[in-house]
Amino acid sequence: MFNPDINDYQLTSIITECCGGVAVVYSALYKPSNQNVALKRYFVDKTKENAALIQQDILTRKELQHQNILPYLTSFVHGRELYVVSPLMTFGSCRDILDRYFPEGLPELACALILRDVLQALQYLHKQLYIHRSVRASHVLIGADGIARLSGLRSAASLMARGRRTRQLHQLPPPDHDNANLMWLSPELLEQNLKGYDERSDVYSVGVVCCELANGAVPFAEVPTTLMFTEKVRGSRPQLLDCSTFPEPCLDDAEMKSMYNTDSGVGDSADGVSRLRQVYASRKLSDSFHHLSELALQRDPEKRPSATQLLNHAFFKQIRKTDYLPGLLGRVKPIKPDPNDISALLLQQKMSEMEIEKTTEWDF
Amino acid sequence: MDPRMCRKISSSESLPDAENVEYEVSNIIAPQESEENFLIEGSPEPNSVSWLDDEQIEDLDLNLDQTNLFFHRVDSADIIYRSKKKKCKMVGKYVMGDVLGEGSYGKVKEMLDSESLCRRAVKILKKRKLRRIPNGEQNVQREIQLLRILRHRNVIELVDVMYNDEKQKMYLVMEFCVGVLQDMLESSPGKKFPQRQAHDYFTQLLDGLEYLHGQGVVHKDIKPGNLLLTLDHTLKITDFGVAEALDMFSPEDTCYTGQGSPAFQPPEIANGAEQFSGIKVDIWSSGVTLYNMTTGRYPFEGDNVYRLLEAIGRGEPAPPPAALGPALGALLERMLKRDPALRPTVNEIKRHVWVQATPPLEAGERLVSPRSRRSDELHTSTVIPYLVERHYASAQEYFTERDLRHELGDGGSRTLSTAELSDGESTRQKRRWHSSCGRLPSCRLT
Repeated sequence: MFNPDINDYQLTSIITECCGGVAVVYSALYKPSNQNVALKRYFVDKTKENAALIQQDILTRKELQHQNILPYLTSFVHGRELYVVSPLMTFGSCRDILDRYFPEGLPELACALILRDVLQALQYLHKQLYIHRSVRASHVLIGADGIARLSGLRSAASLMARGRRTRQLHQLPPPDHDNANLMWLSPELLEQNLKGYDERSDVYSVGVVCCELANGAVPFAEVPTTLMFTEKVRGSRPQLLDCSTFPEPCLDDAEMKSMYNTDSGVGDSADGVSRLRQVYASRKLSDSFHHLSELALQRDPEKRPSATQLLNHAFFKQIRKTDYLPGLLGRVKPIKPDPNDISALLLQQKMSEMEIEKTTEWDF
Repeated sequence: MDPRMCRKISSSESLPDAENVEYEVSNIIAPQESEENFLIEGSPEPNSVSWLDDEQIEDLDLNLDQTNLFFHRVDSADIIYRSKKKKCKMVGKYVMGDVLGEGSYGKVKEMLDSESLCRRAVKILKKRKLRRIPNGEQNVQREIQLLRILRHRNVIELVDVMYNDEKQKMYLVMEFCVGVLQDMLESSPGKKFPQRQAHDYFTQLLDGLEYLHGQGVVHKDIKPGNLLLTLDHTLKITDFGVAEALDMFSPEDTCYTGQGSPAFQPPEIANGAEQFSGIKVDIWSSGVTLYNMTTGRYPFEGDNVYRLLEAIGRGEPAPPPAALGPALGALLERMLKRDPALRPTVNEIKRHVWVQATPPLEAGERLVSPRSRRSDELHTSTVIPYLVERHYASAQEYFTERDLRHELGDGGSRTLSTAELSDGESTRQKRRWHSSCGRLPSCRLT
């Protein structure tokens, strides 16, 4: 058991800010048992309506128990903020890993290990009649044991409404602060017509995550939201980028550079682009990986396999029992106590204490 | 394909029926020697082209019919159509779609929030038209004020209000709904719902009314025309134009004005009472609504408004048909009591036997679904064609007969399953968009 008391937790580093500045995630030491945990601190005042969503998140996670879903340990209120305690996922989210260490995408075997865990989580969720509606790399967290766990249950929806089992839903998930979540959502969910959507919508999102993990970039990230919508509705499927889908550019390197280097000073990003292109064009992802992502990204939800069916896909046959995710992600540094963060956090704490004392008015 | 399905008009200006004509023949290019694989992908060589107008084409047809000696072959890739434009229009961050309905104040259109991609409906109010309606502007102000405070599953949500001073227009952005109970009733057999369905809507109406009355708000215009349905069949009470917020500190719910629809007015208003209980007005109108949903009739009828009000004033409703069963009959009789004090409250109605038990769907009864627009049973967003125009404008303007045939070909040969539209017309339209312009690269790099 974990005590719902801030004094039992020693903050050790800032992991990330999330939900558009509404929450910050810290790593912390739980002093009674010397265990590392993650502490998510919500500034509830800033959110207004989101309070219900945070509650939803907690309630859902309390109800669920699966090794591939981020467990809930405890939560408490301190001052004006709400703290939610979860186990520390040492390697952070897949999105962070991509951004910091693998901008061109993760190795295929690493993708397989992660996707298998995500599909197992979804298989369980769907059995419990939940639709996750927010499957994306930033909601897939990697623990020290190399197991991927799904988080982000605030947008999950139950197919049990008012004591009745419904076949499909029609509403969009609650909007996030920048509406980025839409990029992972299935065409039938975005369409919002009488047909509605069901758990196969999550399978589409897994397809988008396939591309995200393998390519580093999120499909549709660079196009306007409305174009992303029409593209999906018209059946355009994102793809895994390798030599079969991304042929070597005919321009040679120097030409490429000059093309992207028109105004000097931004050479870095142009270099980055041409480097990325070369990485894509020179690599080969397995046919089964391509096939898996195509299956998951089918426009027609009826034709899309279920999470269970996808778990039996040939793509996952490449995984050996000895495969260990942290070994494949060698470059990735685990989250550790950060002395700079600690001192900053201490300072912040002192400042907030000082504010309380600020009762005397200035007198000129 | 029957060529009549696409109306051939050589002078591009005349488009007689905007609703049905989706494309027109722009030009017919008749190359002299067309072989099986003459033109690939319908990109005609400019030098092998002769331009024909309608008359010449007719001549060609005549020649064919009469002599049959001269067979002029036109490759399907050489008949080029130009699609009808749907101009994409934005109001604020919203993309406008088609008209959903029309009222005396202006139109209701569909919109799409371009940021959240949420479907919305917008009530467009023209100041000029509003002035002509008695209490028009005042009612709108009251509606906005009330809707801003109210928040309940069964009360329509006002999402946004926008003004365009230049055009003297006001935009009330609301939740998107697929249908009005009134329309559904009109399109259903016997103009009524199976009891099972009426029960579902009525209990939701009670939930909404309970909330409203708890908030001290009297709607005063409950009727099937003001009850909307969302995609997931959630009932939404709408149109708070004549609603009234009661004085919070008054123990009574006395109201002085009634402006609701005549057929749903209670006897006290029909008789011109100076003051009356507001809450019991809603109970009466809900009773008439339930009566109407389950029988397809009204408890009071009259040749004109005066006769109708006279009948209501006498307060002797046509007894509910025995076929409704004793439980529902008793409930209706109680709700339609002439004396407001004898009518039950929402809470009492909720405890009534008929409300407590869900009636079964009788053999032969079918649930009525929201009436489809343009035979699109799925109520797909009408904004999509406008978005397509916006994003792929140049690419989709021209397409060939071959493209069209290819798209119309048997459903089994579909390469991609695009939006599932039941309507053949729009399916064709959609699939055309796809074939006529290339796909985006799956991932763009910065």
